[in-house]
Amino acid sequence: MTTFRNEKARLNYIESKPSISYERARIWTESHMMTEGESVPIRRAKAFRDTCRKLDVHIFEGELIVGAVGEFRKCGILTPEFSWTWVDREMDNFSSRRQDPYEMTDEQREFVRKEIFPYWRGKSLEEAFLARLPEETANVAVDTGIIDNDSKWRQAVGEITPDYQDVLFKKGFGGIIREAREKLEGLNPSNSVDLERIEFYNSIIITSQGIIELAGRYADMASEIARSEQDGVRREELLEIERICRRIPEFPPETFHEAIQFVWFTQLGGILSENPLALNIGRFDQFMYPYYVSDKSKGLADEKIQELIEALWIKLSEWVWTISANTAGFFAGYNQFQNLTLGGKTREGRDATNELSLMCLKATDSVRTHQPGLSVRIQQDCPDEFMEAVTELVSKGTGFPAIHSDNAGYQMLLNAGYEPEDARDWNNCGCVVPHFRKTGEWTSAVNINFTAALEFALNRGISRVHGRRMGITEQSPEEYKSYKEVEDAFYREFDKLIEHSVIATLTAQRLHREMVPRPFLSSCMEDCIEDGVDLVNGGAKYNIGPVLTGIGLAVTSNSLAAIKKLVFEDKETTMEELSRAIAANWEGYEELRELALNVPKYGNDIEYVDEIAVRMANHYYRIGHGYRDINGNPFNTAFMGISNYLPTGKVIGATPCGRKSGEPLSEGVSPFAGTDRSTPLAAMRSAAKLNQDIHSGGTLLNLRLNQSLVDTKRGRSNLGAMIQSFFSLGAFHVQFNTISTEVLRRAQEEPGKYKDLLVRVAGYSTQFVNLSREMQDAIIARTAHEGF
Amino acid sequence: MKGYFMEPQNMSVNDGNGIRTLIFMAGCPLRCQWCSNPESQGSPANSRGRGSLVREYWLDEIMEIIERQRIFYRFSGGGVTFSGGEATMQLEILDEMSMLLYDKAIDMAIETCGYFDFQAVKRVMDRMSLIFIDLKLFNGQAHRKFTGMDNALILENIRKFGEMDYQIVIRIPLIEGVNTDQENISHTADFISKHIKKPKVELLPYHSFGDEKYRDLQLELPSREFKAPDKSSINEIRKIFKSKGIEVVKY
Repeated sequence: MTTFRNEKARLNYIESKPSISYERARIWTESHMMTEGESVPIRRAKAFRDTCRKLDVHIFEGELIVGAVGEFRKCGILTPEFSWTWVDREMDNFSSRRQDPYEMTDEQREFVRKEIFPYWRGKSLEEAFLARLPEETANVAVDTGIIDNDSKWRQAVGEITPDYQDVLFKKGFGGIIREAREKLEGLNPSNSVDLERIEFYNSIIITSQGIIELAGRYADMASEIARSEQDGVRREELLEIERICRRIPEFPPETFHEAIQFVWFTQLGGILSENPLALNIGRFDQFMYPYYVSDKSKGLADEKIQELIEALWIKLSEWVWTISANTAGFFAGYNQFQNLTLGGKTREGRDATNELSLMCLKATDSVRTHQPGLSVRIQQDCPDEFMEAVTELVSKGTGFPAIHSDNAGYQMLLNAGYEPEDARDWNNCGCVVPHFRKTGEWTSAVNINFTAALEFALNRGISRVHGRRMGITEQSPEEYKSYKEVEDAFYREFDKLIEHSVIATLTAQRLHREMVPRPFLSSCMEDCIEDGVDLVNGGAKYNIGPVLTGIGLAVTSNSLAAIKKLVFEDKETTMEELSRAIAANWEGYEELRELALNVPKYGNDIEYVDEIAVRMANHYYRIGHGYRDINGNPFNTAFMGISNYLPTGKVIGATPCGRKSGEPLSEGVSPFAGTDRSTPLAAMRSAAKLNQDIHSGGTLLNLRLNQSLVDTKRGRSNLGAMIQSFFSLGAFHVQFNTISTEVLRRAQEEPGKYKDLLVRVAGYSTQFVNLSREMQDAIIARTAHEGF
Repeated sequence: MKGYFMEPQNMSVNDGNGIRTLIFMAGCPLRCQWCSNPESQGSPANSRGRGSLVREYWLDEIMEIIERQRIFYRFSGGGVTFSGGEATMQLEILDEMSMLLYDKAIDMAIETCGYFDFQAVKRVMDRMSLIFIDLKLFNGQAHRKFTGMDNALILENIRKFGEMDYQIVIRIPLIEGVNTDQENISHTADFISKHIKKPKVELLPYHSFGDEKYRDLQLELPSREFKAPDKSSINEIRKIFKSKGIEVVKY
């Protein structure tokens, strides 16, 4: 249980639907109207500063951490410079759409249609992307569910971790301005390289001024409210907020409260600058620890620190990532993917867990917010106390924390080219991407539907659901004379999908460089400041290639296994009959479907099918990693979750494994729902076979455990041992849902009573009742392991 | 080498420490009326579940199943638990299997009904780090009525384990109307505290999870008279044991 004020805020968070504010978009647009002709980075910096100067300031009831993205407490903003057309198309249905609805009034709609969108016509990132994407790729990659990268052209990139350790807490934005000015003195405007740098430094001076001014306006507001505040205790708090906002974020923080307010101002700046996905907090228990120790020595009680942490959790959950219905299908649950990573090792390789690590786990238990995305790093000699706190939070059924192998994360970063100390200092990006803060990367660049490649290979290149040619296969399925021929055809389609994904990504990357430089977030990066280069131009210390996310590994492997066994080994059926059965969505072929369902399935530690999955994953890495992005960095592969296995399933007809048309695919390296019938240990063994450390973009395994397994301390100790065993096999991530099917069904029937029920979606947790019915059903369909 | 087994169960946590694999061996000298594994009753080669729930396994098959789980024992302090049926009925393969596992330093436990020739099984028992032994009823006549066999040999074996200081846990299924009366519990407790130095019991309230198997095997279901005692009776029973210096444990 949190404090009274946090409980009130928490209730508001779970009870209210988010509202859209157009204020940021209005100011941004008006600013752009005034800066026509100036350079893009400067225009964006000025738009940011104008927003900081003009956006109304709101201090909500009882808040200890202040700063609002708009006039509503639960609020999403618009970023028409990225895309306005989807908003225009979809906003009339915002409040009624199935996944992630928003509130928006008719007056608001009228205003944005009249005053905001007309300016952006022809100027948005989306329009440019669609104009430049080659037709052949567009056919497969625009709103198809086959290749999907719309979060990279309808949205900003995000996917970054501000550097509190070496930049923000050391220098403050005041220090950043000073440093930029010093740099400017040494540059020569008659040199074209310097010219770009000059522009960059000017842009970050402007954004830094903006965020400092915004904080100043909060100080003014706090002081104003304090004057009329009747409650003496609250008045003192407001005066303290005023004091803090006069110092922060201009100067380095000196207290825990100052530091945590700094964290939120940085988030706020990031949000206002681009409405980002995965603007991560990073290793909070590390960079906040000195302030904790110092405040404690001055007598501050743990309860005060705990309250501040919980207040941040609520703040992180109140703003909403405004996204299209299509994107919401892939990233369901109002998720902003602000990842916060606890535990693991220090840069020197020592145990990094501390009191704050435990307090953060406790905070998620007491406020039950879906943000931050709480992740833990578990090393082999992880202290018992930390492991116990982790498994205890698992037993609460929130799906948190995401549990990661410290060593696998380290290996993944080493493989990606990081120096060992930096690799050891990793945090998560978004859901399950191991990442280091001095990095510019696209950690969720494209979603690739593996099963589509199989469908095209088995259906003469034609998508069953879209009804048009999207693949390259010409021959009919009955022409395949051996299993090898089927597999070869599959891999040809598969490679083609990767090629399209790369093309779509390169097109988007080039446009980002041209159109949407990121001065505010670049100013949070040490090497951008040092070298005078924006993030979009590769200014970070590390620039890691974009991550291709594979979806449907289990379904595709199961389907190939079914063809291999039923057609070519047991000769139970022919390619012709199987094709007819699939085209008929198995109707009239129930017996054949039974046979298909009984072919070994991935996730049960059965070599017959696991071997197919392992080869597919290795092939995926080899081909994907062979491409280079616009900075010359190799693409990376991942098997992450998000909620992408739903929309990608909708566009795939029946599959040879026995799955019916439109049903979800499989997530990450998880088994297909309901087919891991052995034990979670078998599912773990299957998943661990996949050479996870080469997939630097992250891997994800979701398991459902029966609640009774973790009811007792002893049960939780065994769970801890199970996790360590899994990691010792080389695996990277596992996360558990422990809510019983019964409770989930009751929550479907009476959503009002279960508003704060958090469940694991895939790589992240969110409120169950905020998911569409089909998403809820998909979660229930996961096999609950009764074992133990 | 081959033996008769039911399907091994991975990820068990209630029959010893850590995460374990349960190896169910077919065949049992007793025929308890409430048995939850009726397929194992009878002789190993001709148990009631032969051909359906019981089949012949090569020793290598069993070892392979165990090998795949080994990584999970390592971190949890788990291992293998032999169960049944009555594992000691297939002494030859049990001996071989336990020796192989002993050489791999895999932790072993056994769950036994206690009805065996002590001298013959001693070398197997020596390899176990924990022995669960059942004591269903103290009164011999009642024991014979409900299980088909006298309990003199079982009591004798418990005594020997006690004398030689084996790590044992006495398991008592609690079945209302069969063995939950105060007389049975007190006599049992007296016997245990008399013969074992640091006595431990585990109480296992009756469950009807085995009903499905009775249906599958087309056998008559156990009497509906068999019930788990309610919470307060279980607490009473626990108190009796504790009052005699016996630790009540739970796995």
